[in-house]
Amino acid sequence: MKMIIEEINKIAEKIKRDISLMEVCGTHTEVIARHGLRELMPKNVKLTTGPGCPVCVTSQEDIDAIVNLALSGIPIATYGDMMRVPGYYGSLDQAREKGSLVFSVYSIEDALKLQKNYTNLVFFGLGFETTAPMTAYAIKKGLTVYSIHKLFLPAMQALLKIGELKIDGFLCPGHVSTIIGVEPYKSMKVSQVIAGFEVEDILVAIYMLLKQIFDNKTIVENEYLRLVKKQGNPKARREIFDVFDITDGNWRGFGVIPQSGLEIKNKYKKFNAKIKYKKILDQVDFSFSRKLTSCKCGEIIRGLKSPQECPLFKKVCTSENPIGPCMVSMEGACNVKYRYN
Amino acid sequence: MKSLNNNITLDHGSGGYASWELLKEIRGILKFKDKWQNTEDDGAVFDLGKEKLVFTTDAFIVDPIFFPGGDIGKIAICGTINDLAVMGAKPLGISLSIVIEEGFSRTDLMKIISSINKISVQLGVPIVTGDTKVLEKGKIDKIEITTSGVGLAKKIIQNNGAMAGDFIIVSGDLGEHTVAVLSKRFNYQTNIKSDSKSLNKELELVGKHLNACKDPTRGGLSANIVEIAKKSKVKIILDEKLLPYKKETIALSELLGIDFFSFASEGRFISSVSLKNVNKVLKILKEFNQEAKIIGRTEKGEGVFLKTKLGSFRQIEMPRGKLIPRIC
Amino acid sequence: MCLAFPGKIISINKNSAMVDFNGIKKEINISLTPDVKKNDYVVVHTGFAIQKMGKQDAKEALKLSSPSF
Repeated sequence: MKMIIEEINKIAEKIKRDISLMEVCGTHTEVIARHGLRELMPKNVKLTTGPGCPVCVTSQEDIDAIVNLALSGIPIATYGDMMRVPGYYGSLDQAREKGSLVFSVYSIEDALKLQKNYTNLVFFGLGFETTAPMTAYAIKKGLTVYSIHKLFLPAMQALLKIGELKIDGFLCPGHVSTIIGVEPYKSMKVSQVIAGFEVEDILVAIYMLLKQIFDNKTIVENEYLRLVKKQGNPKARREIFDVFDITDGNWRGFGVIPQSGLEIKNKYKKFNAKIKYKKILDQVDFSFSRKLTSCKCGEIIRGLKSPQECPLFKKVCTSENPIGPCMVSMEGACNVKYRYN
Repeated sequence: MKSLNNNITLDHGSGGYASWELLKEIRGILKFKDKWQNTEDDGAVFDLGKEKLVFTTDAFIVDPIFFPGGDIGKIAICGTINDLAVMGAKPLGISLSIVIEEGFSRTDLMKIISSINKISVQLGVPIVTGDTKVLEKGKIDKIEITTSGVGLAKKIIQNNGAMAGDFIIVSGDLGEHTVAVLSKRFNYQTNIKSDSKSLNKELELVGKHLNACKDPTRGGLSANIVEIAKKSKVKIILDEKLLPYKKETIALSELLGIDFFSFASEGRFISSVSLKNVNKVLKILKEFNQEAKIIGRTEKGEGVFLKTKLGSFRQIEMPRGKLIPRIC
Repeated sequence: MCLAFPGKIISINKNSAMVDFNGIKKEINISLTPDVKKNDYVVVHTGFAIQKMGKQDAKEALKLSSPSF
């Protein structure tokens, strides 16, 4: 490993100019911080965090919608990290403290089990292409879902299009790639390497990116060969598109990104919580959800600011009292920065 | 940072930063200590002249109540015996207070009492007084046990005596109590059993050679090593290559997304030992558990750091956020 | 959330497999990887196998996640 770090330093020196690499997967953010990789990088190589954490990119409106469903007596189940994200009406965890039925699950199979006892249970379905197939499977089994699933690539494309930040290369998400394969990334003309999740994987991927940049190449390489196959997982993708349509997605930090969201198809509409509970959702005042706050999560997930540049970081926003999702999620940039000094 | 929410949350019970902060506020009110000392340690101390009286208490809530390697009764009695032992005290007697939910199985209750009795007889530490209460169904989750204990010590083992140049020694692999409890709770199968056991035999032999000692229960290694470093005013550096965790422990940690540094052990201790005593201590501890080993060093300075396998340093802090409820 | 861990399939029962992750075993849903067989290694995410992993690679990955490596 010391050898890879040396090679990284050598090639960065040859490149000379400042290089900005963006990692767009929450687990990469965590592993990089846990091993202090930023300190080990050459001076001219900057690692920025992008919108890779599905909890962090969930819009305030979606949080407010699900919290209101919980407060109105509907049992809600979701993946753990989502429980503490605060919306205008509080978080799901706070709704639970007030007496609402809210369950944190590890697998959607647990939600299906819960539904046997709580027949009107709603699953808050978040995640990218990695978790969407599981939600699709569960909907086919009769689970009611409020879907905020998103497609990953449109966010990367939006970042490049907006051009606020110079991005010389992307460390691509390992598990999303397991599902979508390598091809989809080719639509973006920028250096990309799909990376695994051990620190060794990330170091090798960074080296591969720097080599591409040095050779002026903008191709897609796969470092995570042991898991990511060129064709991805076609069965998983079929499951997704059996149940979901592509629609516009509402992303924290980006606003609406066209063709980036997954909505439940008409043929499964009776399992769509947005339709089933339209009456309750129509009563919710979302004007507060759209208000601007001092929380800089939106800019942090676009890589424009680092957590320390948010006026609330550590002063008001802490992991005990998180203000924004980037501090709640274990893979959020702010939470990771807070935990790993 | 005081909580903006004025209610007690689950965070406050998990043994991490929020718990420590709550304790600070409570201690801020209960300042009257009279002649008692070490009131912020595992046990409080009353100087009797030739000997010192040590007094400790603990409440136990575990889900599930029965788990591989033990039950709530076993950890309740071992927990209190261990709190006395890590202070250097030989236990004299234990009190047992039980709050039971209406509808709880009487057979299960007697199973738990028998577990307690087994340890009591084995170690020669009697249960001398107690209380039971029953609450209506739904007002408490199954059962809660509180044990208090008194013991006598010739010399108190502090947890603030670590000195620069010491070695950090653990008495065995850590976190297996949490692995046993969480595997049962979340339906994983494993051969790992809870590490719940009493520590007084080992501590009788090595106690006098330890500069600081704690048993890493609630909050795990991170909470307890940070406390030793803070109280002793030293810097501690742990080596990632020497971390005392089995592959199963790491696997469960990854599968559940919970940091294994915060996994509790109910039959282990972490200690700071001077160079001159290291070999002696290790030799004795290895007779009880082959896995006893050195995991780090102390230096002048402050804070706890992990030297990663890459050679970089990462600070270990008091765990924050909601950790794992109902482990001990 | 991206947490995914490789494990070995011990037994299969229709859409479910018992998977051993370095000594921790759990029933995993294999409906997204229908071609897997006993003794294959799979990477699991939120209770579902998402892809098969080669034996050597899986063993290497499991070793990397072990302590004292």
